[in-house]
Amino acid sequence: MKSISTSNCLLFLLSVLVFSSCHDEITTSYTYHTMIPVYLEMSDVRARIINTEAAKPLDNPGKIYIYEDYLFINEPTKGIHILNNSNPANPVNLSFIPIEGNVDMAVNGSILYADNYVDLLAFDISTIDDIRLVKRVEDVFTQMYHHETGQVITFRDTVITTENPGWETGGWMMDNRISFSANFSAASQSYGIGGSMARFTLSNLHLYAVDESTLRVFDVESPSDPIFVKPIDLGWGIETIFPFEDKLFIGSNTGMHIYDASTPNSPTRMAVYEHVQACDPVVVNADYAFVTLRNGNTCRNGVNELQVIDIKDLYQPKLRKSYPMLNPHGLGLAGDFLYIAEGTHGLKSFNVSDVMSIDQNQLEFLTNQKSVDLIPGPKSLIVIGPDGVCQFDYSTPSQLKKLSCIQVSNPVNLY
Amino acid sequence: MSNATKLLLIGLLLVSIEGFAQKKMYFGQTEIGFLYGKRAGQWDGNHEKRFDVSFMTFHGAQVAKNNVIGFSVGLDQYDDVSIIPIALGWRGFLGKDGKPKIFGGFDLGGGTALLEKKVSDEGSKSWYEGGFLVSPSVGLNFPAKNGKTALSFSFAYKRQEVSQFYGVLSASGTQSVTNDRLPPGYSSLTENHFLYRSFVFRLGLMY
Repeated sequence: MKSISTSNCLLFLLSVLVFSSCHDEITTSYTYHTMIPVYLEMSDVRARIINTEAAKPLDNPGKIYIYEDYLFINEPTKGIHILNNSNPANPVNLSFIPIEGNVDMAVNGSILYADNYVDLLAFDISTIDDIRLVKRVEDVFTQMYHHETGQVITFRDTVITTENPGWETGGWMMDNRISFSANFSAASQSYGIGGSMARFTLSNLHLYAVDESTLRVFDVESPSDPIFVKPIDLGWGIETIFPFEDKLFIGSNTGMHIYDASTPNSPTRMAVYEHVQACDPVVVNADYAFVTLRNGNTCRNGVNELQVIDIKDLYQPKLRKSYPMLNPHGLGLAGDFLYIAEGTHGLKSFNVSDVMSIDQNQLEFLTNQKSVDLIPGPKSLIVIGPDGVCQFDYSTPSQLKKLSCIQVSNPVNLY
Repeated sequence: MSNATKLLLIGLLLVSIEGFAQKKMYFGQTEIGFLYGKRAGQWDGNHEKRFDVSFMTFHGAQVAKNNVIGFSVGLDQYDDVSIIPIALGWRGFLGKDGKPKIFGGFDLGGGTALLEKKVSDEGSKSWYEGGFLVSPSVGLNFPAKNGKTALSFSFAYKRQEVSQFYGVLSASGTQSVTNDRLPPGYSSLTENHFLYRSFVFRLGLMY
């Protein structure tokens, strides 16, 4: 019996050998992270009622705004977290306002402004437990519109696997780096925060909002009733806006624009300071503008440095000196003290009373504090990094003392 | 040949020699030969031929009169890629003791790409992974005069899967999405999945 079963086996094996296909096969699959477009009808977005929700853990914090004892932390394209920060050593997460497409905000009196795709929303936040939408200014951020169909285009993070990597399916061109919305979702890095990387700013009873190419002016004399005044074309690559006195300093990836906003309704260009292409937030005091240039996400050909620009004559800004940096992102100025977020390299502090020798006046370099932006707030220095939002006591500027850190559940990768 | 390969071969040899000292219960088979296959079709439908080295050693125990169950390890070369196949196997024999026998075998397991180095630079990583392996075989053995060892010729079919991966790391500041198909930190991953179908001709010893 046994030998019969063995011979059957051999027969089976022989047949396998004979009938097997006999050449190699190669299959290639290409899996990539990309953004797929999602089309939304603005009428649907507007029809949804925005109700404050229970507190949510911070997932991927974007901009931060300080309002009285509260911190408003944007979750890019999702909404705004509200935290009670009366004790910076122990911030308490209070609630979340879900606002689709939101990437920036500003607070004027007791009114919070936030963008909602193409609209600007105004919320009454005088009672923090009862935040109400009081005004919607429609169709202002029209660059979000896809043609003129009343649809906005947004992008969803997706992983796609294809057996046909090639130009017709996007291939390398669909790499998520290229999609600008990837920058929104990583806003904690590229746009960040309310500090030097803000794109909304309030000055002289007006709200100024910059997008990639346009400055939009809103009259907010009556805070709960913002009125869209006009758009001003700035050219491409606008990244940040910083108000100082009645001037607006607008950082773009080719230079710094200085606008005179003494007629708040109609800012006029005073000068454009051109420099190499890089990502660059700006902070300003009476005499100097501090600009960080970094070789980063979409501006790979840049350099890493801090530039000090003499702006005593606003019509003729002049570079005084530049200092090499590691990978500077946001920066913040508090009196004579300048704090620079050095990305993964850490957090630096300088005494800048003498702008010609900033490099000799480095006070601290906290290498374990990864940071992308910071805000010198009234109670604490708020530092936003890939791992979370940390607060420091900076009453002794030369020695930062860590008060608290809010961990985030989805830290952003920084290299 | 890399040091790792040499070590492996020496190890296998030692294991094989040790085999001689075992009781009759033990069965060993060590063979060397070549793999023959045809590469995947080119644009004109032609298939290039592929010749590579194959080494295999099988160690098992006799579970019935003509049946042996055990495991096999070896070294197979597919173009530039070295694969260590590890499989569970069966050997069955037909014929009388002391006379040449026909034998059949079946090995089922996986190949590992341990010998292939991972390559990585600032923005990318590439590596190989082995995969599923199945190999039925038939052969003839010619016993030596002492009856303990035999010369063996095997003819086998071997189906081996190997994957080559090339991953591009996420750019600075981009968020990584959590997904089964894309490891964290990668923005794209290209997989070239090779299915090698080879005929194997080997010569060796049974003991």
